[in-house]
Amino acid sequence: MESVALTAPGGELSIWALFWQAGWVVKLVMIGLLGASIWTWAIIVDKTLAYARMRVALNRFEQVFWSGQSLEELYRSLSERKTTGMGSIFVAAMREWKKSFEKGARSPLGLQTRVDKAMDLALAREMERLEGKLGFLASIGSSAPFIGLFGTVVGIMTSFQAIAGSKTTNLAVVAPGIAEALLATAMGLLAAIPAVIAYNKLSSDAAKLGARMEGFADEFSAILSRQIDEKVSSRQRAEEYA
Amino acid sequence: MKTGLAISVTMHAALLGFGIFSLSTPRAFEVADVEALPVDIVPVESITQVQEGDRQAPAERRPAPRPTLRTDEVENAQKVGEAETDLKSPPTPDAKPKPVERAAEPPPAPAPRPQPVETAAEEAQVAEAEPVPATERQPEPQPRQEVTPDPTDKPMVAENAEAESVTLPRTAPVPQARPQPPRAQTAKAPERRQAEAETPAPRQQARGEKKDDELFDQVAALLNKERASGGGARRSTGEAALGGTRTTAGEQLTQSEMDALRGQIQRCWNVPAGAIDAANLKVSLRFRLDPSGAVEGNPEIISGGDGSGVARAAAESARRAILQCAPYNLPTEKYSAWADVIVHFDPSDMF
Repeated sequence: MESVALTAPGGELSIWALFWQAGWVVKLVMIGLLGASIWTWAIIVDKTLAYARMRVALNRFEQVFWSGQSLEELYRSLSERKTTGMGSIFVAAMREWKKSFEKGARSPLGLQTRVDKAMDLALAREMERLEGKLGFLASIGSSAPFIGLFGTVVGIMTSFQAIAGSKTTNLAVVAPGIAEALLATAMGLLAAIPAVIAYNKLSSDAAKLGARMEGFADEFSAILSRQIDEKVSSRQRAEEYA
Repeated sequence: MKTGLAISVTMHAALLGFGIFSLSTPRAFEVADVEALPVDIVPVESITQVQEGDRQAPAERRPAPRPTLRTDEVENAQKVGEAETDLKSPPTPDAKPKPVERAAEPPPAPAPRPQPVETAAEEAQVAEAEPVPATERQPEPQPRQEVTPDPTDKPMVAENAEAESVTLPRTAPVPQARPQPPRAQTAKAPERRQAEAETPAPRQQARGEKKDDELFDQVAALLNKERASGGGARRSTGEAALGGTRTTAGEQLTQSEMDALRGQIQRCWNVPAGAIDAANLKVSLRFRLDPSGAVEGNPEIISGGDGSGVARAAAESARRAILQCAPYNLPTEKYSAWADVIVHFDPSDMF
């Protein structure tokens, strides 16, 4: 049985050759998508490491916090170094608490509000640090296929113009240009797929860490509120006796 | 962030390097030239491939046509026959003319006998009669004058003459005059005349045979004229052996002509839809076509079409397709190649 080999007329079809044969628009798109892919993976690696570190830090802090250690001592050991997560929330709350008592604040309600505000602020700052750059992953995930498609459309357009110029419709003439154009879509998908998967995974991880920190903030707020009430009632008892 | 970026860049570089070296030019497809058409035509070569020979002759190892009487070669002649020009039409049968020509033969035969007995009176008659041919008469007086030198050679001739008869020297000039009319063109050379005059007696004897030869030639010419109304001009020498009227080995349908026929049949073929197992619906039909491309008779089912109702329906649909699409448009000059066609219908590719 006779067999016919379909080969391009004197051109290799490796990915490198396809890239060099492409027009400048397609080349630009491909370079951009390669950069986006590199940045996406940098973010993925960075965030994964950061979340792992954060999880370890939260576990260690919870262990220390619930070990029955005095809050004053904990605050003194933590305020001297740089803290993350629950540690920074705890330090922010304790700083506000201390400042209010040192200045001799009278209203217990005002103190409660200020401590909550300080903790919310610290939590928001932590969350921003956790979720920062995840937006880039989201936008790459949604826009990279379109960027790749744009490169493909431009590439196919130019290749069809070239085919019209060559005045043959031989598949060997048509195929290389289209293969080269499709490389752009392939690169777009190559950048977009990990970005989408990583965005979903990382944002759910961040949400979990945020919920954990929020829970701690609420719990600590309750503890502080109890403390404030105890201090207020003891002060009122002292005033009654006085 | 720095570690993440560093890891990402190295990963991409490694992937690209791997891609450049391993994802090079993909292997070209091995495209097999597969005919996906479910209708297949079998050229009946055992029937169409016929060697030229004689239909009545007994079968030999090599078919050969009847040997021809004529041996002169005619350039580029293709058909075996006795004609002078190569004609496609068959030779007219020569059974009738023959007896007539044979009957004409005997009368001239007695005619030469009385001539040797004729006297000089007849010479005069002949000489008088000769003016009628007109144009070639002028050289004739010359031989007469040349006859006069003959007496010098007489002693030699006389020896022969004495043995037979005395009148012979006298009659010697007579045969000279007789053969001359047909030889008028060659008679112009005087040297020849002398040589002929030297041997008058043998001439007389040869005269009767000569006449027969002429007659034979005339008869042959007549025969040739009749044969020229048909038949080829190629000569055959071998012994006749069984074969067809012409060699048809070279006439085969080309692939595209076969495709055309296949397409014409396939267009009309309504495959029985919803068949249970299409693999069993293979049908082979054989049919004859006339030179106009119409189907002769009813297509005959060679294989398939028996068993279940579905198979029978498939066979009937194939038969209908053949009848419905006739007449077929095929090259007329290759009629012998497509006069007999076997078509395979195989719907198993279509499901």
